Amino acid sequence: MITFLSRRIAAAIPILIGVSIVVFITIKIIPGDPIASLLGPTSTPEARSELTARLGLNRALPIQYFSWIGHTVRGDLGNSIAKQTAVRPLVFDAFKNTLILTLFAAILAFAAGLLLGAIAALRRGKISAAISNAISLFSISVPQYSIALLLIIYLATGTGWFPSAGMYNAIGGGGWGDLFAHIVLPGISAALVPAGIIARMFRSVVIDVMSMDFIDSMRARGLSERKILWHAFHNTMPTLLTIAGLQLGYLLGGVIFVETIFAWPGLGLLVYQSITQRDLPVIQAGVIVSALAFVLINLIVDALHATIDPRVRA
Amino acid sequence: MTATADVGIAATAVAAPQAATSKRRLPLSAKIAGGVILIIVLLAIFAPLLTSYSPTVGSLTDRLQPIGTSGHLLGTDGQGRDILTRMLYGARPSLMTGLIPVAVSGTLGTTLGLIAGMGSKFTRGAIMRTLDVFYAFPAVLLAIAIAAALGSGISNSVIALAVILIPPVARVAESETGRLRSADFIEAANASGARKSAIAFRQVLPNIAPAVVVYCTALIGLSIVYAAGLSFLGLGISPPKAEWGLMISDLQQYIFTQPQLLLVPAIAILIASVAFNVLGDGLRSYLNVRSETA
Repeated sequence: MITFLSRRIAAAIPILIGVSIVVFITIKIIPGDPIASLLGPTSTPEARSELTARLGLNRALPIQYFSWIGHTVRGDLGNSIAKQTAVRPLVFDAFKNTLILTLFAAILAFAAGLLLGAIAALRRGKISAAISNAISLFSISVPQYSIALLLIIYLATGTGWFPSAGMYNAIGGGGWGDLFAHIVLPGISAALVPAGIIARMFRSVVIDVMSMDFIDSMRARGLSERKILWHAFHNTMPTLLTIAGLQLGYLLGGVIFVETIFAWPGLGLLVYQSITQRDLPVIQAGVIVSALAFVLINLIVDALHATIDPRVRA
Repeated sequence: MTATADVGIAATAVAAPQAATSKRRLPLSAKIAGGVILIIVLLAIFAPLLTSYSPTVGSLTDRLQPIGTSGHLLGTDGQGRDILTRMLYGARPSLMTGLIPVAVSGTLGTTLGLIAGMGSKFTRGAIMRTLDVFYAFPAVLLAIAIAAALGSGISNSVIALAVILIPPVARVAESETGRLRSADFIEAANASGARKSAIAFRQVLPNIAPAVVVYCTALIGLSIVYAAGLSFLGLGISPPKAEWGLMISDLQQYIFTQPQLLLVPAIAILIASVAFNVLGDGLRSYLNVRSETA
């Protein structure tokens, strides 16, 4: 187990190095001079060159890269240009809010996805399976922003049932009830696509497992249908785990449209705002943190996978 | 001589799955979806014949007319532009940002996947591990970062989308190629002395094509959704041009006063996305492609 884990961690390191190089290059090709935007249009050339030197932007690109990655690894994410504060608390607060939204959406997606997938697999040939299949295909295709706007129009501004923006009420807000009221609509918007994907994957896994010999043998031995289903479910666990990891990772970086529309103060909204303000350190940190979370989730999934299924450890 | 042998083997290899699929029919839902896509394409092509209004210049006296106003079937936006006209013209960039990134990433991704699948262990490792780096990013975020880095504009969002779509296409092509590597007809082609590139393009490519085409069809819907999303965030096509995502972003400020106007582009993107996914799904069962890769 330990050799398996260390092998997986060793495999993740080159990926993370590659990620950091891609982020660094992407930031370097962003048009616009960060120095000019820091000092404003009235700055003197001397002041500009002094700040360029102080920030190390006149050094060779590989040196800039190693200096940046050195700071990043030590947890120093620099200062936000637009907000004039340290990036780390900004990004971590936003990440925490995204994580809350993501976990809520993941729970919704799993509940709906497993239900739809199970119906589609176990009621094959019946009308309920066809409906389940149609719902999951539809839900995969729904753009986050379309459904988000529909929900706001019909369930927030139209009826006033739910708030249409933010995470807590500005006045008298706070607490679990308030958070719940605010998270329902963005949660549903974010959950639709993963719910459809989970439903389709779960359907094909259940069909595969139900056609295995051990199911026939249990039937022959006269086990109750409920017991058989329980055993079948047990055999879908490894695949479920993989799906869970993928979808959680997808949600972490994929809720940017939902966050923008619902003004949810998460990482997606922060990155979007920083893009409009050309706040490079925040964009860098935001993208790096979500990629890191993505890789970490995959590592955890692999470890859990190896725990429940000894075959993958080989 | 090798050439004739190649053709003969390729023909039988392709003929076998076709014989199996001849019994299958394209599901009705896929035919309807194909019809919907055809209608959208025709509306986009013939936009100038279907409307007399300009997509970019409006009349400020006719601002924010509701849906169903005579002369403005789908209403007008905040600048008095006819929304139906903007929808018709806007279908052009929306379709293009769906098709072009998929065509580019489909070609490059398939080529990379073929090279990785047919190549040595080292080649495969180098290509697939490099693509893994792009897998470590959430796709939407990477597209947004690239589009932001390149600056707004429709060609930049096409590039951003092509980049994020290459790795998944390559992965599908590589895994399909891997399944064929030890097939008898590939061994036979190898034994007959055919060059690796000839085997890759004449034997392997026709056999992995169904899986790749099915996968890419569904990606078109995704690409339309992402491209409109980039425009929605102000990273795609620049105003005053008409594009569905940009229209959502324009009309969003009237969500409290004229919400139904906002629904027009939002639902159009939804319909286009559903249509391409239903078509892809229908093609999948028609061409008998395994569903795991979705």
